[in-house]
Amino acid sequence: MNWKLPFDIPLVVPTMGLPGWFFDTLGIIVFVVHIAFIYTLIGASTASVLYNIFGVFKKSKTNNLLAYKMTNPTTISENMGALWGVAPLLVISVLYTGFFYTAILKVSPHILHIIYGNIFAFLLSYAYKFSWHSLHNHKGFHIAIGLVAVLTFYTLPPVFMSMSNLYLQPELFASVQNIWDIMLTPLTFFRLINFFLTAFAFTGIVMIYLGVKWVKAGGEETEVGRLAIDQGKKWFMWAAPVNIAVLPLVFFAFSPRISEAYIHTPFVFLPFAASAVLLILFFFLLKRFSNEEMSLSDATKAVVLMVVAVALMATARHGIRVVSFEEPLQLQAEATEKYMTDVIAEYKAYKEEMKNAPQVVLDPAVSLADSKGCLACHSVDVALVGPAYKEVAAKAESADILAASLKNGSTGKWGETPMPPQTLTDEETKTLIEWVLKQK
Amino acid sequence: MFDFPIFEMPTIGLRMLMAINAIIHVFVSHGGAVGGSVVLALAAWWTNKKGDLAGYETVYRLLMVFFIISTSVGALTGIGMWIHANIISPNAIGGLIRVFFWKWFIEWIVFNFEVILLLFWFMTWKPKATTAQGRASSVRFGIYYAVSSWITMLIITAILGFMLTPNFDGQPWIDPEVYPGTVNYNNALFNPTWFPGLMMRTFSSIAFAGALAILWTWLITSFSKDEEIRATKERMIKFFATIMMVTVPVAAAFGYYYLLQIPEAARAMIPTAMMTRAFADKMDLMYMIISGIGGAVVVTTIIAYFSPKRFPYIAATLMVAAFMLFWGFEERTREFIRKPYLIYNYMYANGIRVTDVPYLNKVGILKHAVFVDEDKKVLKEDKSNLIEVGHTIAQIECRACHTENGINGLKFLTKGWSEEAIRNRINNLPGAGTPYMPPFTGTEAEKDALAAYIASLNKRGEIK
Ligand code: HEC
Ligand code: HEC
Repeated sequence: MNWKLPFDIPLVVPTMGLPGWFFDTLGIIVFVVHIAFIYTLIGASTASVLYNIFGVFKKSKTNNLLAYKMTNPTTISENMGALWGVAPLLVISVLYTGFFYTAILKVSPHILHIIYGNIFAFLLSYAYKFSWHSLHNHKGFHIAIGLVAVLTFYTLPPVFMSMSNLYLQPELFASVQNIWDIMLTPLTFFRLINFFLTAFAFTGIVMIYLGVKWVKAGGEETEVGRLAIDQGKKWFMWAAPVNIAVLPLVFFAFSPRISEAYIHTPFVFLPFAASAVLLILFFFLLKRFSNEEMSLSDATKAVVLMVVAVALMATARHGIRVVSFEEPLQLQAEATEKYMTDVIAEYKAYKEEMKNAPQVVLDPAVSLADSKGCLACHSVDVALVGPAYKEVAAKAESADILAASLKNGSTGKWGETPMPPQTLTDEETKTLIEWVLKQK
Repeated sequence: MFDFPIFEMPTIGLRMLMAINAIIHVFVSHGGAVGGSVVLALAAWWTNKKGDLAGYETVYRLLMVFFIISTSVGALTGIGMWIHANIISPNAIGGLIRVFFWKWFIEWIVFNFEVILLLFWFMTWKPKATTAQGRASSVRFGIYYAVSSWITMLIITAILGFMLTPNFDGQPWIDPEVYPGTVNYNNALFNPTWFPGLMMRTFSSIAFAGALAILWTWLITSFSKDEEIRATKERMIKFFATIMMVTVPVAAAFGYYYLLQIPEAARAMIPTAMMTRAFADKMDLMYMIISGIGGAVVVTTIIAYFSPKRFPYIAATLMVAAFMLFWGFEERTREFIRKPYLIYNYMYANGIRVTDVPYLNKVGILKHAVFVDEDKKVLKEDKSNLIEVGHTIAQIECRACHTENGINGLKFLTKGWSEEAIRNRINNLPGAGTPYMPPFTGTEAEKDALAAYIASLNKRGEIK
């Protein structure tokens, strides 16, 4: 295989003596929290625009209210999602530093879209939320703002997923040159389908849960709560079946080295287990399909099942890391060891040599010239911006003339380029000129 | 280092790319989060205590602005700092993350409190605003939020202090003479600049947030359709101006104290850091600019305090702009003072470790450039690719600070220089008035290639 790997950072991983599984688990947990918020962000922002449109066409106040209420989970999940995105990246970048940074660099500058594109989408989604009442007579414009925000949010997963798919497959470092090389692959395609379907299924469950809460609150919220429960079930039952089929396929779209090894590990059962949990949840909801309301305990069960499915997917994905990184990590460690040993040997030899070398006593005039910046334009032997001091000395003009040149600046004597006036004390000028004139 | 893929930012350069993000982040996080939280919590407390419900509503509208900006622009440019650092110096950030992982993890946990408190304060404000009890509880959350964001800043400045004094205890490949493993973190934390730095940041943040609050109060109240909200303009502006009257002098005093604590050598670099080398000897000009900025802030504060009704938007904008300039300078200076190192005595600004230099001088910088194509790193017999090879070296060693022909472009810096002159200069990059440049690393042949490349920049497209 044509591996192109960077060296590892030659500093030990700060585990504080904690075992490897601790970090694996930590990584999975923070990732699950992060992705749960991101699923909600994608789904809730979509739902808000969708029910806003329905509200207009069906002239339904309840739809409009549901749309408005969905802006709250959007706000919370966009903030928490961004914040919790940092934690998994922190864990990954300390454990798999070389692979992560290589992938980020390969997809640059497009990766910056997850910062600047995100800011744009955030601001639009706030504009959409906070202009709800003031724009209620301009629904078309209002919906357009929401739609652009949602579509911008949709552009973020492809960028991020490309980075992630590249970092998971270090064998591609040699061939992938930019973001499109990895974005336009079956793997990214499958993972995006899986991502969006899970996001919609997840949001369905969130809507059911919120709906149950609203019904419980009673009053004018009952109506919108019922709508949320009804729609939430539909979101899930529409998205989950396709996902159940796509999910296991994802894990076979990695490069052959990874997919083949993956089959021989227990991780291979996890995607199927996740599909099975989704199936159970599907029938759970099917049984309650025609009920207008749902008990809080049933809604909680649905949430738990959904989270379990997501956690299984995340663990299956962790399995890819385990399988994929074993060989390159090993190669990387060996190469780093060899490189650093050579480096340190050479460094020690160099220090030894410096210790034995005779001490060079620097002429104080040289350090003065250095500190005054003369050597930026002059050197002793060759012309830089200004003439070589050797030549100035050879011309042997009187010290007074040269002192005047320094004080007032000079031009035309050696070339077109002028020397600006230098700020020096008389003492300094004298030292420098004496030194210059000695450089024959 | 040199074995990651190379990403180059045309024209504006990597430093500027990072600086844009960093400066936006500093404005928003200091002005919005740290200062804003204090100023708005105070304003909420004060209006509620006076029973000024219209004023309380104005504070909510201000909070909305601060909320929107600090959770979107502020938070994401914070993550952006890291992503940009990844792209610019993967080696440095990779090293730092190995050394500081747990400290950053703690910072992240504290940050959670800040975000959750802000979300809670803002999103429950409206439902709680109808009863006196609700308002009292809301004000309490505002205060918790202010305290938590100040603690976040405290921890961040402590970590910045640590970063200037890294600890490489127990690391296998470091020079024990440079890092004997006796770093005392208490000394690092309680170094002489830490306290005045923190205080200067705290009070100037509050003052800046006061200025922002004045600007936004002016906008919100002037354009409000609600008569009562419009009537709050004068008293709210006066309130924020009072905060500024107190914090501006305190911040200035700590700023002066801070400057006195910076080592002489670092202080000498400040003018170059702020502008370019052309200003290196113009300390007086720098002081004039700083006093101009300071004067603008003081004068506008006094106007706002004594004549809040007439306080024109030009004065408000001027005040905010002055603060922005001041912080822009501050950030740039702080980043610059460390040069030529990124990690003191361990890694140069271009990611090359000090210990690597002798080895790389022997085998060449390009030998381990894994991601560079062969014809861009191995010199052909006939030297036909000399310039491409030189270009690669510049990308690896100089790209962190120079562009080809944009900001700090090598083309303009060497205009009129002969190839010989350039080569001589490369021999001694950190000398001759530019102590912030790391030394050239690589073989003599690589030095020729680099000089040929730089010389070629000014020959391109020449009409013969
Ligand atoms: C910005 C670049 C620059 C700097 C910095 C600079 N010089 Fe010069 N220097 C020049 C140039 C260009 C000339 C040739 C001027 C001319 O053609 O008249 C020159 C000429 C000279 C001469 C010859 C003057 C004469 O009358 O023949 C001396 C001596 C000299 N420099 C010394 C110094 C010393 C000492 C310093 C530091 C204090 C210094 N220079 C700093 C660019 C510089
Ligand atoms: C730490 C950042 C940094 C790095 C890395 C760096 N430089 Fe510089 N360099 C500077 C700064 C800052 C200046 C001053 C620009 C000015 O005068 O405004 C400068 C100036 C120069 C100049 C003009 C000097 C003069 O006498 O006017 C040259 C030539 C130069 N650099 C070449 C290089 C080369 C070649 C490399 C790579 C081997 C390099 N630099 C790496 C920061 C850097």
